[in-house]
Formats: sequence, C-alpha cells, structure tokens
Amino acid sequence: MSDPKIEGFELEKGFRGMAKDTGSDQTMFKGVHWGKAMMWIFLLSDTFVFSCFLIAYMKGRASTPVEWPNPSEVFALDAFGVPVPLLLIALMTFVLITSSGTMALAVKYGYERNRKMCGYLILATALGGLTFVGMQAYEWSKLIHEGVRPWENPFGAAQFGSFFFMITGFHGTHVSIGVIFLFIYCYKVFAGHYDEGKRGWFTKMRGDYVEVEILGLYWHFVDLVWVFIFAFFYLW
Amino acid sequence: MSDEYENKSSYQAQSSETISGTGSGVSPDMDYVRPAENPEQDLYHAHSFIEKWVFCQDAKVIGVQYFLTAVFTGVVGLILSWLMRLQLGFPGLAGFITAEHYYQFVTMHGMIMVVYFLTALFLGGFGNYLIPLMVGARDMVFPYVNMLSFWMFFVAVAVLMASFFVPGGPTGAGWTLYPPQTILEGTPGHGWGILLMLISLSLFVIGFTMGGLNYMITILQARTRGMTLMRMPLTVWGIFTATVLAMLAFPALLVSSIMMTLDKLLGTSFFMPTILKAGEVLEYGGGSPILFQHLFWFFGHPEVYIVALPAFGIVSDLISVHARKNIFGYRMMVWAIVGIGALSFFVWAHHMYVSGMNPWFGFFFASTTLIIAVPTAMKVYNWILTLWRGNIRINTVMLWCLGFIVTFVNGGITGIFLGNVSVDVPLSDTYFVVAHFHMVMGIAPLMVIMGAIYHWFPLVAGKMLDEKLGKWHFWTTFLGAYSIYFPMHYLGFIGVPRRYYEMYDSPYMTSGVGLNEFISTAAFIVGAAQLILVFNIVKTMKTGKKAEKNPWKANSLEWFTSTVPPEHGNFGERLPVVHRWPYDYNVPGAEEDYLPQTAAPSEVAHTEVEKT
Amino acid sequence: MEETKKKSDQSSTHKIGIYLWIWGLLFVLSFFSYLVDWYQFQGLLRWSLILFFMFLKAGLIMAFFMHLYWERYALVNVLLWPMTAIVCFVALMVAEGKYTLFSRLFYFFVGG
Repeated sequence: MSDPKIEGFELEKGFRGMAKDTGSDQTMFKGVHWGKAMMWIFLLSDTFVFSCFLIAYMKGRASTPVEWPNPSEVFALDAFGVPVPLLLIALMTFVLITSSGTMALAVKYGYERNRKMCGYLILATALGGLTFVGMQAYEWSKLIHEGVRPWENPFGAAQFGSFFFMITGFHGTHVSIGVIFLFIYCYKVFAGHYDEGKRGWFTKMRGDYVEVEILGLYWHFVDLVWVFIFAFFYLW
Repeated sequence: MSDEYENKSSYQAQSSETISGTGSGVSPDMDYVRPAENPEQDLYHAHSFIEKWVFCQDAKVIGVQYFLTAVFTGVVGLILSWLMRLQLGFPGLAGFITAEHYYQFVTMHGMIMVVYFLTALFLGGFGNYLIPLMVGARDMVFPYVNMLSFWMFFVAVAVLMASFFVPGGPTGAGWTLYPPQTILEGTPGHGWGILLMLISLSLFVIGFTMGGLNYMITILQARTRGMTLMRMPLTVWGIFTATVLAMLAFPALLVSSIMMTLDKLLGTSFFMPTILKAGEVLEYGGGSPILFQHLFWFFGHPEVYIVALPAFGIVSDLISVHARKNIFGYRMMVWAIVGIGALSFFVWAHHMYVSGMNPWFGFFFASTTLIIAVPTAMKVYNWILTLWRGNIRINTVMLWCLGFIVTFVNGGITGIFLGNVSVDVPLSDTYFVVAHFHMVMGIAPLMVIMGAIYHWFPLVAGKMLDEKLGKWHFWTTFLGAYSIYFPMHYLGFIGVPRRYYEMYDSPYMTSGVGLNEFISTAAFIVGAAQLILVFNIVKTMKTGKKAEKNPWKANSLEWFTSTVPPEHGNFGERLPVVHRWPYDYNVPGAEEDYLPQTAAPSEVAHTEVEKT
Repeated sequence: MEETKKKSDQSSTHKIGIYLWIWGLLFVLSFFSYLVDWYQFQGLLRWSLILFFMFLKAGLIMAFFMHLYWERYALVNVLLWPMTAIVCFVALMVAEGKYTLFSRLFYFFVGG
C-alpha cells in the first residue's frame, strides 16, 4: 500500500530508496506487516513450485515424438450443437478473474474498515472460487468420460493426460484451500474479529484487516497461476 | 486471557528516547539510534509441561528439538555407514548384508545425512536457536508456525524411519532416486520403501517451508534497533542465505517427488521411458529420465550450499572470536555468501556430465562451476587472513575451525577436478567423487557443527564442556576422517566404482583390498570416537563447572541475554540496542579486548573505533 | 499491533476506479487471448500473442491487485530477481527438450 510514516526515517523513492531501506536497521521492507512479508516470500516459493511443474510439462511436450493432442479440440464444448473451442476454459477464466476483482475490492474496503462491504465481497470471492472448482470438476469428469486418463488418452501422447491432471489438480487444490480460508475469513470479518483485534484460534495473534490483504495476495496468486496455465496448457 | 500475557506490560515498547551512554563530556547525539519500528512482540507464554517442552513455541526449545531429532537421524545414518564399510572392507564377514541390504544402506545413509541430518541441524537447530538471539528479537516472528514446522519435520522423520519396517524395506535406489530403476521391480524397496521416502521428502519440504519463512522474516523484518544487515554476525548471513536457497530449491524436490509418486501409484510416465523387461514391453513409455535428473539437481546443487553456507557463516564467527581479531573482509564475506547462493542455481548439471544430456551444457556448467569457486576461495583466504597475526586461542573450538579449513580446502580442490567435463568423465562414479563430497559437505560441515557445539554449549546449558576430552575428540575425529577419505581418492584414481556391493576379483582390487580394510577400520574408530562427545556432555551436565556469562568474551548479542541460558523472550525488559558490528576485538585504546555490539560510541570515545 | 492499526488507518486506500479499470482490462485481455485460439493463429504469431497477453495480464494482477506497483523497490526486487533462475532453467530445458527429441528420432526412428 502507500508508504507508511516511520519515525526517524525518511523514505526515498526508487533504487536509492531500496539501497537505503536495505541498509537500514530493524526492517528491510519498510512498513510491511510481518504476515504480509511472509505471504510474499511463500508465494515466491510457490512460484518456483508451479514453474517447475510447467517446465517439466514444457520439457515433456517438447521432447515427445508422438503427436500431442490439440487442446482446442480436446477442450471444446458443444454449445447449441456447435463445438466451441475452449468454451468452458473461457468461462473458468472469467469466473476466476471476477473473483480476483471482488477480492481486490474486499481488501480496499477492509482497509477502509467497511466491515459489511468487505465481508460481502469476500463471500462473493469464495462463491466464485467454489464455482471455479465446480467447473473444474465438470471438466475433469467430462475428460474422464472421453477416455482421458493420467496414464493414457485416445488423442495422442500419454503425457498429455498426466500433465493435465497433475497441474490443474495442483492448481485446483490451491483454489480449494483458498476457498476454505475465504469462508473462514468471511466469518471472521462479519463477526468483527478484525475490528476488535480478537486473537486467532490457534496462533493467538491479534487479528487485523491486514490479514484480508494477506489472503488477497494468495487469492490473486492463484489467479496469476491460472493465467500461465491458460496460456501454456490451453492455448499452446 | 490476560494472565497469559502478563509480561507484556513489563516489556514496554521502546519509544523515541535513546539509551544514552555513560561517558561524560561527549555529545549524546553520537549514540542516537532510531526509535523502534516494530511494536513489542506479543509472546504467548507456556503454562503447562506440554506447552513448554513438547508443543513449544519458543524458538530456542524448537531449536533444541530440531537438533536432537536431527542427531538421532544422524546416528542412524552413522550406523548405516558402519554396515556399508563392514561389507566393503571385509566382504562376506557379516552374512546378513546382502546386496539388496547394501543398496538400502547406501540410499538411506545418503538421504538421511544430507537432508534429515545436516539441513535440519543447521537451519532447524542452529537457525532456530541463534537467529532471534543474534538479531536481537524476542522470538521468531511466527512462533506457532515455527512449532508446526518442527512437528512436520518430526512426522517426516517418523515416516522415513517407518520405511525400515515395511515389507520390502527402505528404497535402495541410491540417494538421488534416479528413475526408471527406482520404481521398477528388482530395485530393493520399489514398493513401500520408495513411496514412504517420497512422502517423507514432501512432508520435509512443507515443514521446512514453514520454518524457512520464519527465519527469513525474522532476519529481514524483526531486527533490533541499530541492527543493520551489515552488522549481523556472519552466522546469521550464512543461515539466511541458505534459507533463501532452500525456499527456492526445495520446490524442485517437491515437484519431482510428486511426479515420481504419480509414476509409481497411477502409472503415469513422466520419467519412465519405454522399457523392455525380459522381452516384454512394460506399461510405461514416452517419459524422460533426464527430466528427473534436472529437477533433482536443480534442488540438489543448492542443497549442497544449504549445508555449506551456514557452516561458512558459523566458522567465520568462531574463528573471529577465538583468534580475537575482526573477521578479515567482512563485506567481502557477506557478498561471497550471497554470490555463492545466487550462482548455486546455475551450476546444477555439473552432476550430470555423463547422463546423456545435451552435450553443449557441459560448456555452460563447467564455466559456472569454476566461477563459483572464486567467491569460495575468497572466503578461505579471508579465514586464513583472519588468523594471520591474531591472538589465537588453541582451544577445542579453534581446533575444529582449523580442521574445517584444511578439510574444506581439500574437498574444494578436488571439486575443481570434477567440475571440468573432461576430467570428470573418467572420474565420475568412482570413489574419487565419494571422497570429494564427503570431504567438502560431510566432514567439513561436521567439523563446524562440532566446533559450534563446544562454542555454544555454555549458552544453551550453562556449563563448560571439558577441554581435554574435547581435544581427544577432535584429534581422533580429524585424523580418523582423513584416514577414511584420503585413501579413497586413490581408490578413485585406480578406477574403483562407487555403489558396488563387492569388487570380487576385479583387477583394480589387488591394491585396493588392504586400503579398503584400513578405511573400514578407521571408520569404525571415528564413529565410536563420537561417544567421547556424548560422554563429555553427560559428564559436564553432572559435574562440569558452571559457565560464567559470556565465557568466550564474544561480542554478538546471544551472549548478552538477561539470564544464561536465555529465558523465553530472550532479553528481559529491554531489547538491546546495537551500535557496531560483532567483530570489534582488540580495538586499540579499549580497556577490554572486545567491544560488545551494544557498546555505545560515547562509552568508547577514546578508542579508535567509535562506531562500525 | 496497536501501531499497525494506526498505520492502516493513516494510509489512504486507492480509489475504486483503478481496480475497476484493471478488472475490465483483464477481461478484455483474456478475451483477446481467447481470440488467438478462435482465429487459429499459428506459428510465431500465435506464440508472441499468447506470451504478450499472458505477461500483460500477469503484470496487471501483480502490479495492481497485489499492490506491487505501490510497494517499495526493496520488496519488488527481492521478489523479481529470483525469476532469473527460472528463466535460465526454462531456456536450458528448451534446449534439452530439443536435444531429447533429436536423439529419440535419431536413435529410434532413423536407427542411429
């Protein structure tokens, strides 16, 4: 968010500011909440996880001498009797971006301490996430009906199914975990835990609206990963 | 709720007033340190035995828990190495060691020592104990997550140990777990063993991520007033950089574990090519074993530095304290650590020169490998220059440090041999490689661990370890370790391949038989010699003399806690305020030969260094 | 934590317009990348369009939804520099994938 005010420390812009922040005592990320810094570093680590998955997929696909199935045909959906390529995927992208937008607004209203608005927007985000997971389940079952298995598929290289189920499955797990947390946070916002600084159930740390932003970071990251999966898995 | 936090009111957040020096006649401005940015940490104090010693949220207790669990796995690894040496030195003497068992010992020994022993010991053990103390924090920033991290590690160890007792035994695929043979019939433990190994590794990665986030954020965001990054002890720098590497490298291990699990369980073929077995084509086909090797070593090479960098950091501090001299080229040391860390992501395929990868890669990876030798060599020069004309105390700690330097130089130089493709090709998969990596990432970090135990034992337990026993321990270990690994280089030169169960009558074994017997005997003695340390610790806890506060006259903050051993919250009512780096030893003009990091400039206005 | 609260009260949040703009832009960009498939562009054009829209979308999400645009450079740089390792890994695996394909075709189909 915008620069905080820090007693006895002048915040400068750009790379000069970076050098000064890094060289200063106490904190390197000025004004960044501990939890937020942790989420960022975790996401960096998670980026490496997804990168490794996608790199493995790229290497697998690039080195197969067998024909790779054409995603635009495999993922086509019949709408009114006409096969529309990637229809379901387009809808899933739409849903996920929508939920990302509502989350961004929830963070904004959280910082404005607008409890109701924040809570409803988190609820909307959670429902969007749930829809996404549902659509993914539909996509999986459709493909399984068509004979796509992790170890084989009727369209071409066996690795297609392996990578597809693994990568979308791992992403779907992330979305599901996110949805669970969104519902928990939705409850906590409506119950006013962040307004009164109520202590967490396990960690015993005081609640604060910054937690909504931390959850938001995670949720946007899930969306971000989907952007890459969409480009590399469905469009390539 | 309120009584759990009763200490909070006494730990008043430090406001804008500064701790003014006691010296008179000097301007108080020179002692100015900016006010605290972080609010006082809100600590959860344990109030039952279980909360205090089992599910504890105090980083120091978690550190000790990590340490003990890691040492337990290390002992298992040591016993496995004994069994291996028994077979190699005296083939057939122990009838129960079949070829299958031998491979299982090799695999488990490697994996245990690298991941569950050294990584957990340095980052989990020393990291947890020392980071908050050294940067002047009350605890890790997320104590609850830290506690989960240990228990996740504990479960990972339990799963790993369980694999000894499942049908088929633990996996025997070699610690690198290369497919396709890892999950194929014929490899020992291809059923349950490999599965438990992969699950255990995944759990380890998850547990470590939770701990690693703590270490990183504590160092970056929770330092005390006046503690800049360039005033941190090198121990913290080493552990920090290693943690960064771990956070970025373990994902590759996690991914390869997941993919191999799927290959095993679901019959996918990520890593499995078309395989003919007894004339029949297996179900697998189309996968790439080389892909696994790339993923594995993208983790595996940073892993080497995850073990080495904390050792570099710790040894720098030990040398500086016991040579009573500032570390030579502190900034160079920091940049060398960071540089090694960054470069370590660009050298991984030097483990794969003979794997059949793209042949052009040899050029790229040999170059980066030789480049990474530069900062490493700089560090060695700096250790030696720190010793140069220092006021060296030849005590046990210093002996371990000197042992480390010698072993590390030895192992490092053989590494330059192996980093060159043309030299590596004849040497790869021989005992030369075994000797190299045991010297450089087995014995060398172990020397540092031993030195660190003797150095920090007075802080953790409040008693001084016995020096005489310590010296016996050092000399047997040092000479013994050299007796084991020095001859191995020769075995490698005459072409003895590693991982072979027995050499039978192969031609190179005519001169190797005696050597192998010698190496095995030395290995038994060195392993047993570690009991001296155990005896020393037991004896010290019973009858040892009580340690005074700061017995080594060191400067860094961990010695300036309110009580020894430090209590929960570390520093009593006020957090220390730091004015200098931790290496001000023998400052001209100062009364004592050391200036603690907390010494304010006005207190030492008459010396040559007021502020560093 | 009291202090954090004070801080969050002080920091002015961003106007809602910026989020709505980015939101709309993401929909438009997703639609464009969908059109790449719809019109079945092939070859280099397809690749560059896919990557262009992908990075633009990723950049917008990171910069505005994840607030990276407003964060200080210390954090931004810590997050972005490690990506060089990934870039190196990707580049080398492209070369490796080609080599594996070459050796498979060469040894299995051509016959060595």
